[in-house]
Amino acid sequence: MVSLTRTVRNFWRVGFREWWRQLQYIGDAKSGRLVGTDYFGNRYYENLNAEEEIPGRHRWVDFAQHEYNATQIPPEWHSWISHIRKDPPTEDGVMAKMTPPWKAPYYENLTGTRGAYRPYNTVARKIHAWRPVTAPRENSAHGS
Amino acid sequence: MRGFLPRSAQSARIISTSMNANISSARAIRIVWRTYASTTNTTKPAFETPHSQTHQVPHLPETHIKSFGTSKVMAGPQDVPGAAVNPYKDGPSALDKAMTSFLFTELIRGLWIVLEQFFRPPYTIMYPFEKGPLSPRFRGEHALRRYPNGEERCIACKLCEAICPAQAITIESEARQDGSRRTTRYDIDMTKCIYCGFCQEACPVDAIVETQNQEFSTETREELLYNKEKLLANGDRAEAEIAANLHSEHVYR
Ligand code: SF4
Ligand code: SF4
Repeated sequence: MVSLTRTVRNFWRVGFREWWRQLQYIGDAKSGRLVGTDYFGNRYYENLNAEEEIPGRHRWVDFAQHEYNATQIPPEWHSWISHIRKDPPTEDGVMAKMTPPWKAPYYENLTGTRGAYRPYNTVARKIHAWRPVTAPRENSAHGS
Repeated sequence: MRGFLPRSAQSARIISTSMNANISSARAIRIVWRTYASTTNTTKPAFETPHSQTHQVPHLPETHIKSFGTSKVMAGPQDVPGAAVNPYKDGPSALDKAMTSFLFTELIRGLWIVLEQFFRPPYTIMYPFEKGPLSPRFRGEHALRRYPNGEERCIACKLCEAICPAQAITIESEARQDGSRRTTRYDIDMTKCIYCGFCQEACPVDAIVETQNQEFSTETREELLYNKEKLLANGDRAEAEIAANLHSEHVYR
C-alpha cells in the first residue's frame, strides 16, 4: 500500500484522466516532470524529489501501446531509464554525437509473433546429403 | 522522544534503537517497560529520571545492584590476572538477559519491524514502467558493430571464437571481392553463452560487444541461435547506446 497522501497529491497534480490511465497501466499514481517522448510516442517522466518518489522509482515510462512490453523502449531511452546515463537522449551531447547516420529503426522483441527471428545459415552448404539418382539402364532385357 | 525512553532497561533500549524513528513506538516501549517494572518491583519509573539522557552506557540503578548483588560478578581475589577487568561491566545485566529470554522481546521487536514496514511505501520497482539500474558495462545481448562510415568492423581474426570459454561462437571467413577478409558465418549460440564478456575483451577492433539489452528472451530455443545478420542488426539499432557507453568507460580502460 502506498501512502494515501502520496496518492491524493499525485491525483491532484496529474488530474483524473491521467490518474485513471496510470491506474490501468502502472497501477500507481505518479507525478513528475515530462522528460521527453520517443518516436514511438512513449512518454518518459522523472521525479527527483526523494520525498515524493522513492529513489530507484524516480524514472518511469508511460507506454504508448496498450500491449506494452519492456522492449518497446528504444536503446537511447533504454540507457536513460536503466539509469545508465544521467541525461536523457534529447539533452545528451555524447549520445547525439555517437548516433551514426546509418542507424536502423528500432523494433521491439518480436518473439511469439510472425516477425520473430528464425536462425538460418549464412554460408553455402559444405555437406550435401546423398541424392539417390540412378542413370537409366540401356538395353534392358526386362524393359517393357 | 529519546528522553522518554527507559534508559536503564536494556531490553527496552535495544527496542528503541530499532524503532526510534517512530513516534508511536513509545507506546510499545512503555508496555514492555511496565512488564519489566512489575516483574522487578521497581517503584521508580525510569523515564522520569532527568539525567537519564546523559548516560551513554545504560546501567541499573544502585538499588538493583544492592538487592541482586549478582551484577558484581568476577569479585574474586585481586591476584587473579585480569580480575580488574570485568568483561560484563558494560554489557546487559543477568536480569536484563533473563527478561529478554522470558518475555520473548525478540519476537516483539521482530513483529514491530514487520509492522513498521507494512506502513512504509514499498521499494518495489514497477517493471516494466520503472527499471532497475544497469551498469554501462552490463553484459547483455551481443551485437556486431560497424565503423562510423558503415563498414563492418569484424575482420574475422577469430580471437573471440578462440577465447570463448563456452565455445558459443562459430566463425567462418572468406576474402571479399576487394580482398579484405570478412566473416561469412558468425554464429553465437546464446543458450551456450555464459555472458562472461571475454569476446568483447578479446576483440581487437571492438566489433563484438555485449549491449546493455537484457530483454531478449524468446519463446523458442532456436530464436537464440544468432547468426551474423541478427548480430549486425542488433548493432545497427543500438549503436548510439553502445558507443556512448563505451565512450563513458574509455577513461578506465
Ligand atoms: S560472452 Fe563469453 S561465453 Fe558469451 S560468446 Fe562471449 S566469450 Fe563466449
Ligand atoms: S568479432 Fe572481433 S575478435 Fe571476433 S573475429 Fe571479429 S574481429 Fe576478431
